[in-house]
Amino acid sequence: MPILDVQDLRMYYSTLKGDVKAVDGINLEIEKREAIGLVGESGCGKTSLALTIMRLFPYNARIAGGKVLFEGDDILGINEKRFDSDYRWKRLSYVFQGAMNALNPVFRVGEQIAEAITLHEDVEKEEALERARDLFKLVGIDPERVSSYPHELSGGMKQRAMIAMALACNPDFIIADEPTTALDVIVQAQTLQVIDRLRRELGLTMMLITHDLSVVAQTCTTCAIMYAGKVAEYTDINTVFEEPLHPYTKALTSAFPSIKEERRELESIRGAPPNLLDPPTGCRFHPRCPYSMDICTEEEPKYKDHGGRHYVACHLLE
Amino acid sequence: MSNDLELKVVDLKKWFPVRMGVVSRLLSRKPKHVKAVDGVSFEVKKGEIFGLAGESGCGKTTTGKTILRLLEPTGGEIYFQGENITSLGKTEIKNLRKKMQIVYQDPYESLNPRMTVYDIISEPIDVHKLADSPAEKEEIIYDVLKDVELVPQEEFIMRYPHELSGGQRQRVAIARTLVMKPSFIVADEPISMLDVSIRAGILKMMLRTGEAGGISYIFVTHDLAYARHICDRGAIMYLGKIVEMGTMDALVKNPLHPYTVALMTAVPVPDPRLEKARAIIGGEVPTPIDPPSGCRFHPRCSKCMETCREGEPVLREVENGHYVACHKI
Repeated sequence: MPILDVQDLRMYYSTLKGDVKAVDGINLEIEKREAIGLVGESGCGKTSLALTIMRLFPYNARIAGGKVLFEGDDILGINEKRFDSDYRWKRLSYVFQGAMNALNPVFRVGEQIAEAITLHEDVEKEEALERARDLFKLVGIDPERVSSYPHELSGGMKQRAMIAMALACNPDFIIADEPTTALDVIVQAQTLQVIDRLRRELGLTMMLITHDLSVVAQTCTTCAIMYAGKVAEYTDINTVFEEPLHPYTKALTSAFPSIKEERRELESIRGAPPNLLDPPTGCRFHPRCPYSMDICTEEEPKYKDHGGRHYVACHLLE
Repeated sequence: MSNDLELKVVDLKKWFPVRMGVVSRLLSRKPKHVKAVDGVSFEVKKGEIFGLAGESGCGKTTTGKTILRLLEPTGGEIYFQGENITSLGKTEIKNLRKKMQIVYQDPYESLNPRMTVYDIISEPIDVHKLADSPAEKEEIIYDVLKDVELVPQEEFIMRYPHELSGGQRQRVAIARTLVMKPSFIVADEPISMLDVSIRAGILKMMLRTGEAGGISYIFVTHDLAYARHICDRGAIMYLGKIVEMGTMDALVKNPLHPYTVALMTAVPVPDPRLEKARAIIGGEVPTPIDPPSGCRFHPRCSKCMETCREGEPVLREVENGHYVACHKI
């Protein structure tokens, strides 16, 4: 049984101009200990999908259909109180985007982590603080720094503190939303190594959200490529780079420059990502796709397994 | 100075004073400075694309802005097409600005939201009196919009920035500089705010118009993977100093300075089969207010020796056109 099973999930934002279909029929079966990279350009619905799984919706969002099963239990159907006491933070946790701003500047970092622990478990503050120290050790920060304020920590340390906080209640599944985007290359590499080590040591299942394919290449075991609120392709990490089937995946991988290769002409994808208020009919990628056929403009391609957990939604494969 | 040089920078410095409190002033403590750029020398040849790379806070953007005299240099000299422009007056600089331009990082911030595309591109034409009649002005605007691939022009000309996508905005920002037919452009992270799928398109357009107009570029970036494919030569900066400079090929394939090596190792590579256990150096870039003595990289350097703590290494040519500032070499 997959640890997380997302079934035909839809989440729309109501705006004055109509519904923004940020998550529009997504299916993902994530196995235990999998490290899935969720990749896509800005506005493709990556973060919305993750927030839906965590049930952290903005005020104008609504679930328009579908289910999320965590170890077989429907976590969208249960009431908020139960979700909060049994799942959020304890079994599913989240490393928020922008660690620089995610910590409260007027409290010591250790207290903020201890607060997360005391809210979810029946422990004294002292014990929680002790655990915060252990967590700091785990992510590679001097445990004494628990009594620092966020402004006393460097960017990389703040990011690690956020990871420590996400691990505070021993979750099984952790979502990291662009954990390294604001960091410099060297600190980014350090942070990714910490994430990778923790995932292996603690046996976590992880979802890493990023727009950077090269980050996914070095940290994940599988990869889901999202485009305009849908998953275009989902398969293991080597296949994504070596034998991608969806034209968008192919275009995206060749648009990515590598420092290891000889100087070459970079490739871009014509057009721009669509507006999710009024996405294109049929396959949403068709206006930018070099292989677009008549059927692509009319009918939405089915998302299905093309052998060995290689899911693709494209008419070319029919 | 030879004729094929577009720009020559000699020992350029830009220090920002740190505001002092009353107590410090009463005790007449020495004023402190953020030494954002601290003695940088390099040359850009005509038609060349020169990459200025490094982590945030290394002084790459400040260098770019100081060269254009958008910031006043604290020390050093800037030669543009053979002329020393370090202490030119306001009007002379204004005339020069036609030839030397900048493209900013964030097209969401650099365009005035109350101006249409037409107004945005008109402004430099009006300021520098590049058109004699409204008809001529319109023609110039249509031409430049074609250059940046915003066609059909009628569709874009009356739009406001919020009606454009990120990529289109950056194209407008580039059009605004190209309209003056500059020979030198500082491109300050021109693609870092844009989506991956459209980055290459913007870069190619810049390179194409650059080639057509004989434009030299300084490409300021933190993304070495892009720099590798775009730049002819480049310099790696650390805490206000150039640590290594050479052809992009040499920097990537034969990095000599330990910092360049660390940087190149840390760049993520889109290849899942690559060795994952890389040796990543620890620590983070220290503050440029009181930079480490001697070689500024020595506290993080695995090859640090006694001399590194004391003497500052100078940038020397170690092989043809490949410069390194390191005591080990």
